[in-house]
Amino acid sequence: MSEQSSRRPHRILVIGGGFSGLTTAVDAAETGAEVIVIERNPYLGGRVAQLNKYFPKLCPPLCGLELNFKRIRTNPLVTLHTMAEVETITGGPGDYTVTVKLHPRYVNDNCTACNACAEACPAERPNDFNFGMDRTKAAYLPFNQAFPQKYVIDGASCAADCGKACREACRYGAVDLEMKAETRELRVDSLVVATGWDPYDPNRLDLLGFGKVKNVITNMMMERLASPTGPTAGKILRPSDGKPVENIVFVQCAGSRDENHLPYCSSICCLASLKQVTYIREQNPGSKARIFYIDIRTPGKYEKFYGKVKEDPNVSFTKGKVARIVQAEGSDDVIVEAEDMLTGAKVKVQADMVVLATGMEPTGASRKVSGVGYNGDGFVLSVQGVSAAGCSKNPMDVARSAQDATSAVLKAIKTGQGR
Amino acid sequence: MDKNIGLYICTGCSIGESVNVEKIVNIGKNALRVPVVKSHFALCGKEGTGLIRNDMQAEGVNTVVVAACSPRVKYEEFDFPGCIVERVPVRELAIWTQEPNSEEAQLAAEDYIRMGVIKVQKGDLPEPYLMETVKSILVIGGGITGMTAALQAADAGYPVVLVEKEDRLGGFVNRLHKIGKIPADPAKDPLIADSGIENTIKAVESNPKIKVYKSAKVEKTEGQPGAFDVTISSNGSSETVRIGSVVLAAGWRPYDASKLGHLGYGMPNVVTNIEFEEIARQGKIARPSDGKEAKKVAFVQCAGQRDPDHLPYCSAMCCTTSLKQAQYVRQNPAAAAMILYKDIRTPGNLEYFYKAAQNDPGVMLTKGEVTGVSEADGGNLYVEMQDSLLGGQVKIEADMVVLATGIVPATADDPILMLQYRQGPGLPDLDLYDGFADSNFICFQYETRRTGVYAAGCVRQPMNMAEAQEDATGAALKAIQSVEHVATGIAVHPRAWDMTYPDPYMQRCTSCKRCTEECPFGAIDEDEKGTPFYKPGRCRRCATCMGACPERIVSFKDYHVDMIGSMLKSVSVPEDEDKPRIIVLACENDAYPAIDTAALQKGRLDPAIRIIQLRCLGSTNLVWIADALSRGVDGMLLLGCKYGENYQCHFAKGSELANYRLGKVQETLGRLQLEAERVGMIQLAIDEYDKIPSLITGFVERVKEIGPNPFKGF
Amino acid sequence: MPEQIAGQIIKPDLNFVKDIIASGGESLKKCYQCSTCTVVCDVTPGETPFPRKEMLYAQWGLKERLLNNPDVWLCHQCSDCTAHCPRGAKPGEVLGAVRKMTIREYSAPRFLAHMVADSKYLLLLMALPVLLLLGVIVGRGVTGIPDGEIVYTKIMPVPAIDVIFTAAAVFAVLSFLFGIRKYWAAMKVGTKAAPRGSLAEDVVAVITEFLTHRRFRKCSVTQERSTSHLLVFYAFAGLALTTTWAIVYLYGFHRESPYPQYDPMKLVGNVSALALLFGISLVVVNRLKNAEKAGKGSYFDWLFLSVIFIIAVTGLFSELLRLGNIAVLAYPVYFIHLVFVFFLFAYAPFSKMAHMVYRTTALVFARQTGRDR
Repeated sequence: MSEQSSRRPHRILVIGGGFSGLTTAVDAAETGAEVIVIERNPYLGGRVAQLNKYFPKLCPPLCGLELNFKRIRTNPLVTLHTMAEVETITGGPGDYTVTVKLHPRYVNDNCTACNACAEACPAERPNDFNFGMDRTKAAYLPFNQAFPQKYVIDGASCAADCGKACREACRYGAVDLEMKAETRELRVDSLVVATGWDPYDPNRLDLLGFGKVKNVITNMMMERLASPTGPTAGKILRPSDGKPVENIVFVQCAGSRDENHLPYCSSICCLASLKQVTYIREQNPGSKARIFYIDIRTPGKYEKFYGKVKEDPNVSFTKGKVARIVQAEGSDDVIVEAEDMLTGAKVKVQADMVVLATGMEPTGASRKVSGVGYNGDGFVLSVQGVSAAGCSKNPMDVARSAQDATSAVLKAIKTGQGR
Repeated sequence: MDKNIGLYICTGCSIGESVNVEKIVNIGKNALRVPVVKSHFALCGKEGTGLIRNDMQAEGVNTVVVAACSPRVKYEEFDFPGCIVERVPVRELAIWTQEPNSEEAQLAAEDYIRMGVIKVQKGDLPEPYLMETVKSILVIGGGITGMTAALQAADAGYPVVLVEKEDRLGGFVNRLHKIGKIPADPAKDPLIADSGIENTIKAVESNPKIKVYKSAKVEKTEGQPGAFDVTISSNGSSETVRIGSVVLAAGWRPYDASKLGHLGYGMPNVVTNIEFEEIARQGKIARPSDGKEAKKVAFVQCAGQRDPDHLPYCSAMCCTTSLKQAQYVRQNPAAAAMILYKDIRTPGNLEYFYKAAQNDPGVMLTKGEVTGVSEADGGNLYVEMQDSLLGGQVKIEADMVVLATGIVPATADDPILMLQYRQGPGLPDLDLYDGFADSNFICFQYETRRTGVYAAGCVRQPMNMAEAQEDATGAALKAIQSVEHVATGIAVHPRAWDMTYPDPYMQRCTSCKRCTEECPFGAIDEDEKGTPFYKPGRCRRCATCMGACPERIVSFKDYHVDMIGSMLKSVSVPEDEDKPRIIVLACENDAYPAIDTAALQKGRLDPAIRIIQLRCLGSTNLVWIADALSRGVDGMLLLGCKYGENYQCHFAKGSELANYRLGKVQETLGRLQLEAERVGMIQLAIDEYDKIPSLITGFVERVKEIGPNPFKGF
Repeated sequence: MPEQIAGQIIKPDLNFVKDIIASGGESLKKCYQCSTCTVVCDVTPGETPFPRKEMLYAQWGLKERLLNNPDVWLCHQCSDCTAHCPRGAKPGEVLGAVRKMTIREYSAPRFLAHMVADSKYLLLLMALPVLLLLGVIVGRGVTGIPDGEIVYTKIMPVPAIDVIFTAAAVFAVLSFLFGIRKYWAAMKVGTKAAPRGSLAEDVVAVITEFLTHRRFRKCSVTQERSTSHLLVFYAFAGLALTTTWAIVYLYGFHRESPYPQYDPMKLVGNVSALALLFGISLVVVNRLKNAEKAGKGSYFDWLFLSVIFIIAVTGLFSELLRLGNIAVLAYPVYFIHLVFVFFLFAYAPFSKMAHMVYRTTALVFARQTGRDR
């Protein structure tokens, strides 16, 4: 800081290494602060890492992530802790003591990402990165461009023999199944909570058939299906029989804007569906897509993206919320029911696959960080010294999260200044 | 710096089993004359890095070539401050992507290591560009965005100069009757409240760190970040102040409603939402024609917005504004507000505002397309709607109509900044964003193509007040970052670690102006004689100027034309006519990580290629193509980011300019009597790594079809 | 619906909105037009389905479109819509309020309709039968509980009952006829399709449907409701049969009450009364149980339920007390019973009782216009 350059640098703890947390971390470090990033996953990037493309540019999220990783690699002021969770926060603005639990990765820093352990590993685990649509070895790299590029062993899936095989395969002594959880105490001036969001549990949407009707998936699953690193290597095939999807229906507000589920609007689902329409339309020129909505929410410049998708004659929009989804008789097709409100008729539409545009539930709804304040929906309430950034405070898209995270940096570096 | 090079070859990760490392060690020692050459099984381990550190102390090694894995892994291990460190990704480029123990793998490893050594031989440790800088921040615009930015920056300890065009701070908020508020308890809390803008104005005006100019505008901005000289004219006098960086918060104006005749504007009882605020401020809602209290007020949403003939974008704030203004109407319990919308857009927690505002018997909403407004009896109006939920085509009777008009950014037709730059006074690319001073980058919202200028609020994107305040805070941070970086001679985004800067050898400059024209950031001006004049503070270090310069005079300490030229000239060119050699110039930000990932998949890459990473494809100098091809290299492939409307280049124009230059390479190739198809460019996104093997094979096949380079063997 | 009202002028009516709210449609403003309600509704026709569009009309106070709309009677207030509404709106209740307003709109005389719908007139409405019946008793010179065997004609002679209740019934029937005629005409104005086909056939079809509660049985959230309603429905039918039977006894065979317990008429009457009591209790229990999902109901609903409940209870107790020979209670209870029966009869055109008439009319109209076949 301009007048405090002789003082020790500001120390900031960023909880969450998704896009908001990363942006906070690099922007703070590039402003001269010491930053510690705590990430629950074994990799950084959070939800963004699971996305295939961004709207409206249809560019790959990895592009911006990679640059942020590079900013971390080149900045000695950033310290990372993956597989870490905050246990307690005590103290106040300018002097917080935070205890952090580091879960064992079972792979130490010797890892060279050579893949030998995964090759040798006999056990498998459901791939949570792909929402369980495929499996990985118990020793695995979370995804191809994962950062840090270090393998991890799923202790629960890797039983005795498996551990031995992995350990023996590693020529660098990187596999360490004796690794124990550790607790560290960190002292910082301020905190930024960027714990992000979870996709709303589609099993709770009783009318929409997820888990009961075949080929009903969520929008996040669709991202993985369309991604080159996904379970189908980017080919959009429906789960039940691997049939290429010709005819797809998007169900907007699957849980969002609904008092029985998420009372707020999740902000991104309209645009996400429009984007996903382009995935399928690009992949399969004869395909047809239909979006059922209450309101199409494409604020600001996003309106032009909506306009572009709307021009496609194979894409149709129906005002009316889907309120019933059943299996078609005698096939794996799906039937959705809604009212086409502009014609005023109930419609039943048969589709190869249905995507539920499920919303964002802040992680604060299910996993609260003790010492952080939340509102009734689980969104973080910022106070002096503890600022929220990104989707932990309000549903927002990546662009706004990036902007919001930068703004959180200024709030953080002002806290406890001049001590 | 006197370089004492150490070459360290890792034999782990199957490098040792796949190539003859001993042979490479000998090449290093004998052919390349590297004083210290060592190999180790796991260089990244404690023992390996210890070996290097030990050589630094014992042998005085200060320049390290690590021939091992990609710089994208093991970055902490090979961080040796004060040393030149070059990482040669032998594992990825010669082992994982080539047939083990083949001649091709061996040759590739040798070539890459040779290039690595040449690179450090030619390079030098960066020294920052230091100049006298100031850390004051200019905020243009005294609305809520500008005032927030000013207060935030001042609170963080930075002096602020605030320029407001009106004679009073506050901007549009001054014109608002009330502001909307998401109620904590919808049953009790009001939906509208006083803006409290006076308090903010007071806070700004009484802040000793903020100097406010009212009735003022920026007349001109000269110089560069850290040392802008901004001339501010105010009430007939002007003053020049030195500024470090700029927050552009010039705001917006309402869309010109006179263009909305089809929606009835011009009829006495049809007003805009801004005019409606004024009416509400007077107390009761009196309609203009006869002053009678309006009891049926129709709000026409998207009055101009979402309409290609007017504003193609959505103004993001009008839905909440109309819901708020409906509350004004509802101050009279007998009055009804009717909101006629295409879509109600209240994203995120604003949904609560919608919900609360709607839950009022006198607030009526319906979806449809408003097609016109016509006169009814007694000064009343009919709003005509199609595709209405109320039943197809209907006319809605109202005694007053409010057009929810949208926003036009101040930058739509005014450069505002008045930059005295060779490339013009305003921000480039504005037409891509309909006049908004927006960022092209989803991930980097504050990046403009004018270094040290950060836009916030409605001049950047349509947004509401709360969002604008957050945006202002972020922009203030970026402005702070910018002045801090320029003070220490470090670049800003996207190379915010880089201490190098362009250092042109001006004696050989021919004033061709290609650099001044091509620089994506307008960093190069011209003096009176038309000679380029570098402003390093504005520079983002993409080295586009280095690529543009036909005289090859632009260099950075660790990156210059001769360096890359020497590297590619050192590549082996097989004499065998069936074994072409192709140089791939790859963008280090996107294309190279994609290649790295392809290597992680152990996908085979055609052995013909040698990959050289560039800061940005925009730094591609055509001389490299001539150098390579005249040495017998059969082809050159450029791998860079997608360009066009949705460009992905972190330096905005790099890949596009490289492509543009390739269009001119014909001439060079013609001189050498070579086929233009030997040189190609592929736009490659970072996630398209799965396509790389086939893309490269495809290019190699095309070159093979053309046949071997006749210069081969010369 | 769209083409049917093309170019129509929309005049929002805030007062009508407030009326619906006051009539039990408090939640109508919560609707944001997503149409979940319409999709989950199993009783709506597929073309121009309800209740989503009715919610919008209600929000805008489009009185004609609601009050001449047979659709509101196609709704059986299953409350599937209400249970699934993402916004906490209760379309079932809003339509219930509209039905109540329809009754109020078309029944004559209007002032009575308003009084029945408003709790503040309850005592006044009650006063009429009380005074009337008290008048009879006092006129007969009865000043206390009569001695000897309990015979209700001691206080309330048959002719008096005949006159009073026949008058009430005639009044009710006339009022209904008047209301039906007005309502039918209004529905014709509101619908493009003209009524076609055999009226008799459609009436029979509608009544057949009532006998089975076919449509009502499609409800899912409040499935038990159709059973309890069916019970009440048949109980009323049984009681109507009993009354007719009694008239035949009295005037056909000149047999005077009380009749012995084994008499078949007595049997039908007793069974029906028990069914009514059981049925109405079930209705009440279901309503309370489903209050969270389906809404708690309005004064209009509860008045009706209470009246039936009291009639059933006092009816049974009149008999039991008579058999138990507890004169001091039997006569007052019988008096109360008569008061409430009068209340039910005389005010039927204005109370929820009228729903059977209006629903029948609307459903016949819907069949006639091809809306509901």
